[in-house]
Amino acid sequence: MLSLQITALIDKELKKYPADQRQSAVMAALRFVQDEKGWIASADMADVAAYLGMPQMAVYEVATFYHMYNLKPMGKHTLTVCTNLSCQLCGSGDTLEHLNKRLGIGLGEVTPDGKYGLREGECMGACVDAPLLTINNKKMCGRLTGEKIDRILAELDKQ
Amino acid sequence: MINIEIDGKQIQTENGSTVIEAAHQAGISIPHFCYHKKLSIAANCRMCLVQVEKAPKPLPACATPVTEGMKVFTHSEQAVKAQKGVMEFLLVNHPLDCPICDQGGECMLQDMSVGYGGGQSRYHEEKRVVLAKDIGPLVSAEEMSRCINCTRCVRFGVEIAGQMELGQAFRGEHAEIVSFVSGTVDSELSGNMIDLCPVGALTSKPFRYKARSWELSRRRSVSAHDSLGSGLAVQTKNNRVLRVLPIENEDINECWLSDKDRFAYEGLNTADRLTKPMIKQDGKWQEVEWQVALEYAANGLRHIANGAGAEQIGALATANSTLEELYLLQKLMRGIGSDNVDFRLRQSDFSGDVKQQGAPWLGMSVADISRADRLLVVGSFLRKDHPLLAARIRRAARKGAQINIIHSADDDLLMHVAHKAIVAPDALVEALTQVSKALASEKQGQSASGEAGAIARSLAGGERVAVLLGNFAQQHPQAAQLQALAQQIAALSNGKFGFLGEAANSVGGYLAQAVPGTKGMNAAAMLATPRKAYVLLNVEPELDCADPQQAVAAMQAADLVIALSAYKHHATEYADVLLPIAPYTETSGTFVSTEGRVQSFKGAVKPLGETRPAWKVLRVLGNLLKVDGFGQDTSEAVRDEVLQGVDVSAKLNNAIGGVEAKAAPASSGLQRVADVPIYATDAVVRRSAPLQATADAAIPQVRMHGEELKKLGVQSGEVVKVGQGQGSVQLFAVADDKLPRGVVRVAAGHAATVALGAMFGTITVERA
Amino acid sequence: MKNLIDFFKSFLLLELLKGMSVTGKYFFARHVTVEYPEEKTPQSFRFRGLHAQRRYPNGEERCIGCKLCEAVCPALAIKIEVAERADGTRRTTQYDIDLVKCIFCGFCEESCPVDAIVETRIYEYHGENRGDLYYTKAMLLANGDKHEAQIAADRAADAKYR
Repeated sequence: MLSLQITALIDKELKKYPADQRQSAVMAALRFVQDEKGWIASADMADVAAYLGMPQMAVYEVATFYHMYNLKPMGKHTLTVCTNLSCQLCGSGDTLEHLNKRLGIGLGEVTPDGKYGLREGECMGACVDAPLLTINNKKMCGRLTGEKIDRILAELDKQ
Repeated sequence: MINIEIDGKQIQTENGSTVIEAAHQAGISIPHFCYHKKLSIAANCRMCLVQVEKAPKPLPACATPVTEGMKVFTHSEQAVKAQKGVMEFLLVNHPLDCPICDQGGECMLQDMSVGYGGGQSRYHEEKRVVLAKDIGPLVSAEEMSRCINCTRCVRFGVEIAGQMELGQAFRGEHAEIVSFVSGTVDSELSGNMIDLCPVGALTSKPFRYKARSWELSRRRSVSAHDSLGSGLAVQTKNNRVLRVLPIENEDINECWLSDKDRFAYEGLNTADRLTKPMIKQDGKWQEVEWQVALEYAANGLRHIANGAGAEQIGALATANSTLEELYLLQKLMRGIGSDNVDFRLRQSDFSGDVKQQGAPWLGMSVADISRADRLLVVGSFLRKDHPLLAARIRRAARKGAQINIIHSADDDLLMHVAHKAIVAPDALVEALTQVSKALASEKQGQSASGEAGAIARSLAGGERVAVLLGNFAQQHPQAAQLQALAQQIAALSNGKFGFLGEAANSVGGYLAQAVPGTKGMNAAAMLATPRKAYVLLNVEPELDCADPQQAVAAMQAADLVIALSAYKHHATEYADVLLPIAPYTETSGTFVSTEGRVQSFKGAVKPLGETRPAWKVLRVLGNLLKVDGFGQDTSEAVRDEVLQGVDVSAKLNNAIGGVEAKAAPASSGLQRVADVPIYATDAVVRRSAPLQATADAAIPQVRMHGEELKKLGVQSGEVVKVGQGQGSVQLFAVADDKLPRGVVRVAAGHAATVALGAMFGTITVERA
Repeated sequence: MKNLIDFFKSFLLLELLKGMSVTGKYFFARHVTVEYPEEKTPQSFRFRGLHAQRRYPNGEERCIGCKLCEAVCPALAIKIEVAERADGTRRTTQYDIDLVKCIFCGFCEESCPVDAIVETRIYEYHGENRGDLYYTKAMLLANGDKHEAQIAADRAADAKYR
């Protein structure tokens, strides 16, 4: 079941669209689910579909099409590292290597304690700060070095 | 109209059509995969790229509207280069497994690659792999790597079947066709996805590896499983039906076929086929020669006619027997002096028989349904009883027609229903009366309130109104009143009204006069006051009759039961003679569809074993009983005897007069609502293994309103005991809050519910 | 005049000597006749003799039952029935070649996408009854198993021309 907070948020979103086109809010609805649960389970997609009155399959199509929706648990903090050209030239490889070593996980994996997940991301549109990573698709950290990553992780550890 | 030029040919075409449509009209072929005339335009395969004058790049013909003076080149250097380029990309990830692919030989990609593909691939990297999926017993998705992502199957689901069961998940190179959470595709039209798939990604599961397309011979036939009269291409090899495909006819089934029509053939050659005549002697069944069995049957009938009287003989036939069979059956009965013959086995109200002015039919053409802008469907499990008609209505609804429903169950019709009144069966007449009254007052400018008022307003606002009575309404104990009311409503809204025929020959039965005259007994009366002898044509009494308890009791009490059947069924318990007759693929015959279309067909294969076409068997029985007029040599001669010089359309008439408004008998307790499940309608379908493995063929449940269940102290999902008369069965109870109160929905016609009684009436439910 | 010349020709046995000279010439020439069965002619690696069904080195039969050979056979000598094997693969349940009908055109071999049906170099076989020349799948496979080395070598030799 969708929580009351989520339905309230979806209702707010629905006001932006004509009443007979509720499915316009599907992307926002999925985002709300992911913000609350960290990932989107099939059951959640079915709930979103029921709430918006659209086919479950259509929600699934949207959820799988976009890269930033997590279709499996990706830990409390999902770190997404950009691996596109600009970041690669500025050393995203080192970033990944450092994270691999620190967290003991590879791309697409989650630490055993469920705290961190590591993903590969596409260009985040801030190449000036390359190499980049985002935390839960919300907070962007740029000009990464080994020390800076350690600092970010230390801060996240506290949360 | 717009003038354009394609490949130097001047073409006039309608404004708003696309280049590919204009080209097809002019007989110019443009290669394509994702375009399909019945589906929306996706333009995602890019195979139909053509050169258009003044356009800098090639344009997709399927998505480019025509404009005045447009010049299109479909085979110019630029166009062919573009098409070849697309083809090369399509083949990049397509496996080279044509030799084991069931689509091989009838594959669009294979054909196109001959024309546009290269002899050698330039792609040497690894091909992508898409995992196999299990999407149910009918459609095989074993080799999804073959998929070229044209999304025809997805669009079919959304637009024609009304439910999006397949979708394209993921993106780019990872895109694949999947069902939600690996679910099955349960649509009753799912088989059409096999036809639509331009490659071998979706293929027929029952047909898997059975034959290559070039080995099959093709015979034209007509569907025996519903009243639409869909055209079938029955494909055979070694005297066995291996596949059934649709024959396109825009006025009937368009290019579609319901799963029932498509996969029923799997029930043709089952182990319980009756292949030799059998008679029961001293309680034991013995296989005998035809001559012996026929003489035994004839002597038995003669004995009873001479002794107890011919009126002690009754004949029952199913409504999917051919016109010829039904005609000869009634001729035989009348020849030996009995007027007891009927094919309307599930009907319970025959009071309209004398008041009815002709054969009840659809009241319009099938194509008219697509054109209607207001529909009222009364008492119909529309989707399951008439899958393709439902698809037509669905498309009408998508185009803006208002669909109104009056029924006792509220199944999801997968279309927008404008208004509906869901009432208990005994309130159905009242609900229609309300609508009729509301329409009358609407005419005087007064609006009635409630659902009846809303339905009346909807109908009054229409230009092309259709009122349709479904199977449930025809089987209803007050069917005549429902018919009279439908007639009234149609008249008030200047519309047409008609019946959604129950079976392949529901109209043909009337034309063949296989109904009792004024002296004779109808199906219900024949079973209520048991006869001494019965002749059964295709009938499995416990599954095909309105009241299985009564039917079986009557059969067991009879001295002589002659069963003409393709299968060894439960008749072995009470019959005395079993005569093996040919199902519709093995005999020639005629069906008259619900719109009055007379369609004759020939046998696709030879009869199995010593099976004989029923018309021949009846003919010989007529000769043995020395009845006049049994000298026909061909089924065509029989047909001509019925139809030659007869204007069929003049015989079709739904008008009914002089029906008294009678209140329904006061009912106490719970009322039964019985549907005949989609894959339980006739003997062949009931034996088709793949159809019986679908979700629609699951064991019936007892469905009741949640509050009613609570009153009984039963939880949804628990087993309950439902009883009617002396019989009872134990089934799972399911809460269904869409059902009206006081109603118990239990399917009829299914082996699990044969112990129950009539399809309507009171029923008891208690904790098991 | 002509009669006179003819008379002298026959009188002096000139024609006989002319004929005998041909005989004498070939008497000492190199022999070309092969003394079959003691001697045999050389064979091409494309020789089209008795059919065989091949297997992969792991023992799996090659034939996938595509029925292209059946479709292409101009003499309608091949009969195939196909079913899904327990492991889900497409396999023949029946693969018969009626060698009485076969005209040894080699189309079956050419149409085969997996090089399963081949024509070997064997031409010395016989049947005492009509049915003996009706080769079933088991017989064809046995044939292939027996001569695989030769078959493989012949295919390899022909590969560059295909």
